[in-house]
Amino acid sequence: MAAPLLSLKMSAAAVKGFYPHGAPCNLLPRRCFGVSGRMSAKSAHERPKPRERVEIPGLEMITYDKRMHYVPGLAKPVYKRWERDYKDPRFYVSPPVREMPLYKEKPCYIFNQRTSALEGVRQALWLTKSKLISGLPPQLLSLANGCTNQILDQHERVQNAIKHARFWDTTEERPGKKKYSNKLLYNLLHLCATLQSHHPGLGRRIFAEKYSLAATWSRGQDLFQIRGQNCILHNCMDPLPELSGNQEVADTENYVLETFYPVSPTIDLQKVQVYQEEMYSTGFAVDYVYPHPHTLYFLEGVDDDCKLQPEQFRAKMLMFTFGNALACAHKLYGTQSQQILDRPIIVQAVGTNGRIFQFLVFQLNTTKLAEDDGIKNQVWLEEDIQLYDFAKVRPLIKKKEIMVPAGLSGYKPETFNKFLAFYIHGAV
Amino acid sequence: MLAETFTCQTVQSCLEDVMMANSGLSGAVRFLKVSFQMLTQSKVGSLVPSIFVQARGFLTTASLAQNRTLWKQREKYTIRPIGIKKTGGRDHTGKIRTHGIGGGHKQRYRMVDFKRLNYEAGKEDQPFEEKVVEVRYDPCRSADIALVAGGNRKRWIIATENMQAEDIIKTSAVIGRMAVSAKEGDAYPLGALPVGTLVNNLEIQPGKGSEYIRAAGTSGVLLRKVNGTAIVQLPSKQQVQVLETCMVTVGRVSNVDHNKEIIGKAGRNRWFGIRPSSGLWQRKGGWAGRKIKPLPPMKSYINLPSIAAK
Repeated sequence: MAAPLLSLKMSAAAVKGFYPHGAPCNLLPRRCFGVSGRMSAKSAHERPKPRERVEIPGLEMITYDKRMHYVPGLAKPVYKRWERDYKDPRFYVSPPVREMPLYKEKPCYIFNQRTSALEGVRQALWLTKSKLISGLPPQLLSLANGCTNQILDQHERVQNAIKHARFWDTTEERPGKKKYSNKLLYNLLHLCATLQSHHPGLGRRIFAEKYSLAATWSRGQDLFQIRGQNCILHNCMDPLPELSGNQEVADTENYVLETFYPVSPTIDLQKVQVYQEEMYSTGFAVDYVYPHPHTLYFLEGVDDDCKLQPEQFRAKMLMFTFGNALACAHKLYGTQSQQILDRPIIVQAVGTNGRIFQFLVFQLNTTKLAEDDGIKNQVWLEEDIQLYDFAKVRPLIKKKEIMVPAGLSGYKPETFNKFLAFYIHGAV
Repeated sequence: MLAETFTCQTVQSCLEDVMMANSGLSGAVRFLKVSFQMLTQSKVGSLVPSIFVQARGFLTTASLAQNRTLWKQREKYTIRPIGIKKTGGRDHTGKIRTHGIGGGHKQRYRMVDFKRLNYEAGKEDQPFEEKVVEVRYDPCRSADIALVAGGNRKRWIIATENMQAEDIIKTSAVIGRMAVSAKEGDAYPLGALPVGTLVNNLEIQPGKGSEYIRAAGTSGVLLRKVNGTAIVQLPSKQQVQVLETCMVTVGRVSNVDHNKEIIGKAGRNRWFGIRPSSGLWQRKGGWAGRKIKPLPPMKSYINLPSIAAK
């Protein structure tokens, strides 16, 4: 409305008379379009350091407080910091660390789901005071050999599960790693769960996601905690049978733990001084019907904020398996550390990135972890087993020769047998 | 105030022109005219400037906060790479400080700990060892850098020639009576090393951090040790005299073949962020041609006692 009105007769001088801020100013024509005196580009002056205030006792400092504006020669008034008398969470300022109620002098080293331990499995073995045995325990191996044709059309259905995860479950060209690894794991678990009619013991289990784990132990002079939410936990009503006999457990006393001087075992763990002592929690209520952890299923690369190398991923698997076992042991046998548990606690773990599987079995023999000597815990680890070689949407062609055909190739049925053996272990 | 009234009059007059065209209309229109006048008189003060408010964003000046170096201002050490903002050779005022810089591949800065004798908290005054985790390329310098881990921390240092992952390197501040037989990559004070050792990462003042001999493939020679001081020959053949408590690393800096690298084409220099030099013809002056001049005298970095003290 207003613009055409003005364009009719208004002179240019009148337009120039308006200051762009909306405030009227003099009628002199201005040469530049600038909005302020910042038009002349000068380098930003370095602000001088505030002058030191000298307090002379007995002398009253005269400030321009009453005048309410700056007066040269008078001191700048100092006002008391304004504290709001109401609570506003947006402007909450936490007290200094030393004044927090949970502050302790002794630091605690926390392992969480994003910890990338530099020394990998070696470091985790030292922290958990465990002896590594490569390969799976004989009970699980014999179980795996017996699982060749448990499920009807096992090979075909497993391959279909892989193809579903890698090819069919998307409207895109190919699903992302995060998606297909998750889908593959659930497909395989679903396939395993169809065996419930043959093994009724499988019905005495339940899955849990996003449970919070907390376990505390001391190793040497240091205090350690495992905290965090990750992995899918398979809980069971009955504990798993022990894997190694008393003699083997007693033999671990002679085993010397591997050290990695000059690197400290606490490297890369989060060092905190504000923490709760004696934190033990399996993540479930005390009277939970499924108290025994059976298997932990870890997915690699689902957390966008933290990508772990395979070695660090295995270390995380070991630490969390240990943490679950320790929390369970504290619930069963009390928080006092025991030289040898009456009945060792066994927890299994399976890690996958959608193609490569890591199998781990942990047997908690002792909760007396502070000293290096004595009974050790045992770990069986089988690492980097492929379920299949390639699952390609398009063939890999080099020099006009098909190197890898499209589709699923190089399926290895024995890997799924191991997966199935882990699943039905304890129910057969 | 003058301007406001003036405009009021102009707007009023233009409205009157519009009304004059419709002068044949009845009194109802006259009534309208009065109301229009009242309207314009009351509103014009706020109405007209509102047109100019929209032109407010018309800035012809650039921001004065040129080349902010906020990314550099970090006190806590981290081994994580930090994003860099390119300066293009400009300083904080925005003017060209160094010619021939601009563009290039995006780079990230890794904080190199030049204070090799940087004790871990709580473990002061003991020689310590560290393990090399990896040796890698660094875009910000010609030499390679090595990630070393020892105790409870990790840090980046400048890699020496034969440094590899899993090596153990030692750092010590002890000056013994006998000279040590040092391994490559170890760090000692100059006083602890035998004369003739190849050294790099030379400190000028004890505890300040290494400043000299850090470029790829360079090394200095420990020439003499004279009562509490040491004389080192720099790669430029200049000799410097420093205190014998200055730390050095033994050996030669990594990436020895850096000077033999073939850039290959002009565009590759652009990838490194180097712009072509000016094509302006300039007469060759004294800078051109071979010069034979004596070596500069030895440079001393030892604080000489002041005259007043004598």
